[in-house]
Amino acid sequence: MTVETLSALDGAAGGAAAPPAGARQIWRRLRVQRAALAGGVVIVLLVLVALAAPLFAAVEGQDTTTYHSGLLNSAAGAVPYGSFGGVSAQHWLGIEPGTGRDLFARLVYGARTSLGVAIGATVLQVLIGSAFGLAAGLGNRFADGLLSRITDVFVTLPALVFAIALLAVVPSGFPRPVLLALVLGLISWGSIAKIVRVQVLAQKSLDYVAASRLAGSSTWRTARRELLPSLVAPVLTYAAILLPSNITSEAGLSFLGIGVNPPTSSWGQMLSTASTWYQADSAYVLLPAALLFATVLAFTVFADGIRVALDPRAASRLRVGTKRRERVAAVPAGAAADTAAVAVPDAASDDEDGTA
Amino acid sequence: MRHLSLSSRQLGVIAIGLALAGGTVACGPKNGADAKANDGAPHKGGTLYVLNNQPQTNFDPARLYTTGGGNIPGLIYRTLTTRTRANGAAGNKVAPDLATDTGEPSKNATVWTYHLKDGLKYQDGTAITTADIKYDIERSFAPELSGGAPYLRDWLVGAADYQGPYKDPKGLSAIETPDAKTIVFHLNKPEGDFPLLATQTSFAPVPKAKDTGAKYADHPVSSGPYEVVSNENNGEHLVLKRNPEWSAASDSQRKAYPDTIDVQSGLDQAVINQRLSAGVGKDADAVTTDTNLGPAELAKISGDKSLASRVGTGHFGYTDYLAFNPKVKPFDNIKVREAIAYAINRTTVVNAQGGSSLNDPATTFLPTQAAFGYTPYDPFPAGTTGDPAKAKELLKEAGYPHGLTISLTHDTDKGGEQGPEVATAIQEALKLAGITVKLDGEEHNAYEDKVHTVKSEPGAFLAGWGADWPSGGPFLGPIFDGRQIVTDGANFNNAQLNDPAVNSEIDAINKITDLKTAAARWGALDKKIGAQALTVPLYHPVYKRLFGKDIKNVVISDWTGVLDVAQVAVK
Repeated sequence: MTVETLSALDGAAGGAAAPPAGARQIWRRLRVQRAALAGGVVIVLLVLVALAAPLFAAVEGQDTTTYHSGLLNSAAGAVPYGSFGGVSAQHWLGIEPGTGRDLFARLVYGARTSLGVAIGATVLQVLIGSAFGLAAGLGNRFADGLLSRITDVFVTLPALVFAIALLAVVPSGFPRPVLLALVLGLISWGSIAKIVRVQVLAQKSLDYVAASRLAGSSTWRTARRELLPSLVAPVLTYAAILLPSNITSEAGLSFLGIGVNPPTSSWGQMLSTASTWYQADSAYVLLPAALLFATVLAFTVFADGIRVALDPRAASRLRVGTKRRERVAAVPAGAAADTAAVAVPDAASDDEDGTA
Repeated sequence: MRHLSLSSRQLGVIAIGLALAGGTVACGPKNGADAKANDGAPHKGGTLYVLNNQPQTNFDPARLYTTGGGNIPGLIYRTLTTRTRANGAAGNKVAPDLATDTGEPSKNATVWTYHLKDGLKYQDGTAITTADIKYDIERSFAPELSGGAPYLRDWLVGAADYQGPYKDPKGLSAIETPDAKTIVFHLNKPEGDFPLLATQTSFAPVPKAKDTGAKYADHPVSSGPYEVVSNENNGEHLVLKRNPEWSAASDSQRKAYPDTIDVQSGLDQAVINQRLSAGVGKDADAVTTDTNLGPAELAKISGDKSLASRVGTGHFGYTDYLAFNPKVKPFDNIKVREAIAYAINRTTVVNAQGGSSLNDPATTFLPTQAAFGYTPYDPFPAGTTGDPAKAKELLKEAGYPHGLTISLTHDTDKGGEQGPEVATAIQEALKLAGITVKLDGEEHNAYEDKVHTVKSEPGAFLAGWGADWPSGGPFLGPIFDGRQIVTDGANFNNAQLNDPAVNSEIDAINKITDLKTAAARWGALDKKIGAQALTVPLYHPVYKRLFGKDIKNVVISDWTGVLDVAQVAVK
């Protein structure tokens, strides 16, 4: 899709003048990508639903924990009476087999768990990964070697197995969603550290960084003033890719029964409970599955849009009319900026291998 | 540790003896066409396939832990007595097998004498003797042949430290064999239940000359209607064929219709149910002895009449309950325990476990079967959905007018009898009574360790209990007998109750050799203990199992709750 999107970008930008800087520029590049926009809208809606979960449940008049035994056919395995898993005016999306708990309420509250854990984990991954990457990139040979090997260890960890082990040893009293975010965040920050390190190494040798150093800036000041701003684009892009993978990781762990504790709902936990019911009450399986699918798709498409909008290559291509286009094409891997940009998709595919 | 506290699925496996087997055997004519042509009555011939989840490991009569002689093991090993192969409650009675009767007690039920029937032979044609039965019992004491039931070590005079015939060839002096057809057991205490114990496979004969120690399981010498053709991977796939030396005239219990029985295990439970419901090819001649229908499978089947007619329903004696440890506050206060008993909503609990077809709500600790001494009672009547108002009242009297917070330990195995679904249902029910329940979910082994270790036993936890034979003794003894509190091992007396009145009543009932009279006394004792609210009985599971299209003569006794492989016909 990248190629098409880029050509679309070329077309949309037309013969526009020099690219505008900052947020406006990003927004202009984002807004021409309809799929990314649709993904963004879905994400905003989901976040709103998660934030206003009590409101939604109150409008429906249900909560997540009340059992409705009267609506279950107890003799037939406690499956809901009625069609589509017991859909009614009171229970908009039906009820859960075995308990009679309201599925709409559990789904909207489940959004809190799923998104909350994923966002928390992503923030943690970005913080740890950036710190490691920055330190490795700026440090001396020894520090770089050490930090890079540590990063390698975390990249090669079988994340799911490790998460299961970690979750199993923590006492059950610890707040589970926080724990999930911590475990996911602490395990899967390796790829982002690698990306940041490569970016830092590439930028470090550029003139403006050298100038800053010659002017007497400390390493920390150089990092803060000169390097960090240039890291925003790749880090943001990669964070947007990490987020949906964190959603699926949370769902996976909950599916395996080591996610949030009952009676808290999460989509993965619902999917897990529903998995045996696919023949007897298929609506029950489809609801969390469809929501998970839509959410992950929305985030992924949106992340791709962000990546395109922030891609320096796209930026260089947009310099049409300056006659630099031909020159850039003639020297494909010339500039250091290009090398760095290439590193982003590479590292991303590494991560997919690691978490698959 | 005297008893197994296993999930009913596991207990079923052990109890029933199971199998392995599957579908690779080529012997036996396929019977599709002639099965349809016949009159519906069972006939001899064909191959029966048993599709199971758990393998029949250590298929040695000294090592098998069975009740009533087991299901698959009972095809190979005949025992002094066995369970009656009949439907329902009639199947809870003990019947003579190798012996002429169920045992002659003397000296206050401390001495039990048995005589063998005439003309009993092994598969090789040699005669079965009482010395061979004594020998197998001695083998079951050998450390290298571990796994069997522990009762005889406690019950036989001077057997506590016996190490088996390999280390100690003199044998057990508590068992006498004055002649080849007589065997006498000397017990160190009265045990009216001895005939029920004598159904276990350690009471099967093993000829000393053919004993190969730990390898005996691969080629055991059969005394039953079938003999082992092959035993692969320690019981994963067993193939059995008819034993020509077995005579129906000497065996009133086993029908033995199929010529061959192929037991394949290690199959996924969903796969077993799928294959049995589809019934394609030889799966039409298949049964399972260890895989129940789950709630979703039941929901699907209940809409399909032809499938529903192929579901066997069994009532194994088992109780799932909420256990209290009164040594932990606030459960030392009986009013708190009573309040919880009132607040429990058995409807939501039963639904959480798959609904009313798979579970009967329980108010008594004893299962609802006469053989156990079932005496209906409900000391804390709260209807089918609980009485939170009454619970609040009791809490106020107990000094908790604003409610209280408790912790409930459960197993995290999903769908299990002590699993999170039941715990969550209880949590929700107690909420209405002002009790906040914090769920303490533990991984299966950690949960078992925690709740069965005196030092770590929590104040409230989910538990389940099934007995090794249908009688009140093995049901109430391990849970409420103060002398069975195990401080350095697996303890099942959750309340750590050591009440001299209860202990002496247990002793008194054990002296009774008339099982009916004893049952009535067990029932009365259960009722008396029930008033102390040391447990809250929740439900008795019901087994629903599919069998193949061509299966005939399905017999399910209350003793095992599972279709009896020795009665099934495929023709």
